[in-house]
Amino acid sequence: MSSSPKGSTGKAWRAESDQVGHEVGPKSDLTVVFQPVQADSRATSAGNGGARGASGGGDISRAAASLEARQVTVEYPGVRALDGVTMSFRGGEIHAVVGENGAGKSTLMKVLSGSVRPTRGATLLDGASVAFEQPSDALRAGIAMVHQELNLVPTLDVAENVTLGREPSALGGVAVDRAAQRSRAGELLASLGAQIELSREAGLLSVAEAQFVEIAKCLASDARVLIFDEPTAVLGEQDAARLLSRMRALRDEGRAVIFISHHLEEVVAVADRVSVLRDGALVQEFAREGGALRDAAGAAVDEHALAAAMVGRALGSIYPEKGVARDAEPILQLAAFGAVGRSAGIDLAVRPGEIVGLAGLVGAGRTETAEAILGLRPATGTVFVNGRARAFRGAKDAMRAGVAYVSEDRKGRGLHVTLSSIANMTLPSLDRHARLGGARIDESGERAVARRWIDAFAIRCARPASPISSLSGGNQQKFALARWLETQPRVLIIDEPTRGVDVGAKAEIYRIIADLAAKGLACVVISSELPELIGLAHRVAVMREGRIVGEVDRAGLAAGHCEERIVRMASGLGDMKERTA
Amino acid sequence: MTTSKSRDAFSIQRFLERWGVVVAFVLLFVASCLNQGFDFLNAENIRALLNSNAPVGILAVGMTLVIISAGIDLSVGSMVVLSAAVGLTAVNWLIGKEWGEASAVWLGVGTTLLVGLAAGSLNGALVVFGRIAPFIATLGGLAAYRSMALAIAEAGEIRSQSDALFRKFGREGIPLAWEVPGVEGAESTFRGLLNSGGKPLTLPYSIIVFFVVAIIAQWFLSRSRFGRHLIAVGANETAARYAGISVEWVRFRVYAVMGLLAGLAGFLQASRMNSVSTSGLGVAAELDAIAAVVIGGTSLRGGFGRVWGTVLGVLILGMITNMLTISGVSPYWQGAVKGAVIVLAVLVQRGSRA
Repeated sequence: MSSSPKGSTGKAWRAESDQVGHEVGPKSDLTVVFQPVQADSRATSAGNGGARGASGGGDISRAAASLEARQVTVEYPGVRALDGVTMSFRGGEIHAVVGENGAGKSTLMKVLSGSVRPTRGATLLDGASVAFEQPSDALRAGIAMVHQELNLVPTLDVAENVTLGREPSALGGVAVDRAAQRSRAGELLASLGAQIELSREAGLLSVAEAQFVEIAKCLASDARVLIFDEPTAVLGEQDAARLLSRMRALRDEGRAVIFISHHLEEVVAVADRVSVLRDGALVQEFAREGGALRDAAGAAVDEHALAAAMVGRALGSIYPEKGVARDAEPILQLAAFGAVGRSAGIDLAVRPGEIVGLAGLVGAGRTETAEAILGLRPATGTVFVNGRARAFRGAKDAMRAGVAYVSEDRKGRGLHVTLSSIANMTLPSLDRHARLGGARIDESGERAVARRWIDAFAIRCARPASPISSLSGGNQQKFALARWLETQPRVLIIDEPTRGVDVGAKAEIYRIIADLAAKGLACVVISSELPELIGLAHRVAVMREGRIVGEVDRAGLAAGHCEERIVRMASGLGDMKERTA
Repeated sequence: MTTSKSRDAFSIQRFLERWGVVVAFVLLFVASCLNQGFDFLNAENIRALLNSNAPVGILAVGMTLVIISAGIDLSVGSMVVLSAAVGLTAVNWLIGKEWGEASAVWLGVGTTLLVGLAAGSLNGALVVFGRIAPFIATLGGLAAYRSMALAIAEAGEIRSQSDALFRKFGREGIPLAWEVPGVEGAESTFRGLLNSGGKPLTLPYSIIVFFVVAIIAQWFLSRSRFGRHLIAVGANETAARYAGISVEWVRFRVYAVMGLLAGLAGFLQASRMNSVSTSGLGVAAELDAIAAVVIGGTSLRGGFGRVWGTVLGVLILGMITNMLTISGVSPYWQGAVKGAVIVLAVLVQRGSRA
């Protein structure tokens, strides 16, 4: 709704050399020198695409650097996470940092935001060396980070979370000015185009809503440098587009925006500058010139070129060949099914060997429907498995009938991050390793199973007995998948199979899912990444507001404009007659 | 489920987080030796230390499991007194009904354990099915179970009517010395561990029960399906549910086991005293038990813990009391020292344990 975030011009913070003092407020001891930035109306108002005009780009390249990492090296015992990286971030620029998982992006951001101190090297703010002891120091200096992990206080409401730590006070500081708090939070959320009830408890928010609250919280600090670490990972396409346009507006206000994303299309669309990290070192930089990202030689680059720079080689298609669904009775069938209060009237049949995609915006009720199938939340309607009506009472009950669900929320629901990889691996199938009526677990059997899946899925896991949190997202995801395959399911529901997973591991996970389907599993893939669904699924059902509003079949998926069609259906635009069987 | 962090560089803080309880135990042990000379190392002294701490030790072992499940049980002291009071009343009633002593006592033992199990199960049911926070549910138990025990004996003492058998369990044990008949009319002598009077030293049943309970609990924690589920539920209840674990059943069982162990501790105490003081038995036992668990390095957040640490925690608290008493520190001040030790233990061990 608010695709022109500059509407709140009163808040627009443009640091110019002659008006720094009162605008900066508590940070006035810092000398801030930003070049005035020419507003580029095309870039701010465009919902996507948003190539910046040549004039804006030219100015920015001459803008004073505001934050710089100089020769930063970070060593952990046995690992060099960053190796002499020098990178400068300027006001009025969106600077994307890309790289595979483990390339050092997050470590660099942690250095900039004060939560990790470099082994060697320095951080320079406006040319002066700064040493942050902790994130609050960086925040005081005007550097705010939207973390990948959501850090909301679950028992406080949305307005309280947004203004946490800088509550507007009343009665001379002894009370919180609730009205001001709510209006401030409301403004910030509205500027992001997010409609979230201010009085809802943060613990009840969906992941996407929580992400918006987290971002609003960061904006509330009015920082000069904003670091967005995978902000769109949990957002649907529309929400992501809204966020990107807000990022452009922040840049046009003169702030330095640092953007980390696995979504390379987004990077190509919004970044003014792109730095590519590989194995802890800076390997390449691209800058926008004349509306396109260009390499040093001046050639325009697209997301494929970025991906190639990230992995150091050209990538083929990351989607495997689609197999043929078997001409058999459906294994999983939903009839007038729904999750109470979140979805209803869903009819869906999945045959052996078939991959059915479930598309929709965040909040469309896809995850809730999957959870209702398992009995993890109250359901209406009927689930048939192999033709038999079933009402599962929980994950174990569903598992016995051959239905497995891999959660979208790897850290909170999918895995036990504090437990070892082995324990995580065998948790759903632990009964198989139980001896003496459960009094003893066959640990060597467990190790063997973990080893088998590590080999089968090429999981990089040197110490299976160490906490699984030490693995990268992609390797964790492979374990999350493997633990359910070990229960030998016939129906596999995978929710956001590649969230927070790097390009290389993505391709491997797609390959695994395709192989499973080829072996006769019925797969349901829930994803907010449309290219993933289009590239992987045999057909895609689109959900909106708890109902299936359309379906795109295999031929439709192969057609050119299917992505646009799905987005229209998911967002309720366009005519519903387009409902194809 | 404990995993080595060997790839990380050695750091004192990390070492203490993990092994602080062992260091503290060794330091205290050495300090006790220096303080009391080699009297401390005397087998009789060690036996007394273990024996007097066995009942609270049994409670602490159960409490370790409860805390690993991210719960707490404040009612353990009250379960001790209720089960002991009901059990001993049953013994006396049966003896009054002209039952044989043996059958009366054995039935009484069974009753004691069953009352503990029932009280623990009620706690579990309130927590799991009543969806009451463990702190509140067992706070209710703390008040209610004690009150029931007081009502049974009108706040007085219940004395055992069993002549000899009932008190055997709490006072006797396995002799650690055997008799060597004297040669050619000389007096027979003993070989093995002897007390200061030259008589055979016994290993009390209480100590045996304590260690057996601890070993079984540690085994179940680290080697069994129940233990794995317990840790998973404590670490992340939602993730456990999504992995197909019956969270309710796991949590219910841990409170039931806690009740059973409270019954066991109650029986040993009643037997040792040959009576039950309904106003005194088990008072503040929950605090000692929780303190031992915390000192032992089990995380109050749940999901991580170790029974062996708790056993050391029990002994550390026991040694401190012992040393303070011998040094002539007023019992009124001993609580302050214990409190400081508990806080110190948490300070040292709270760390980055994920």
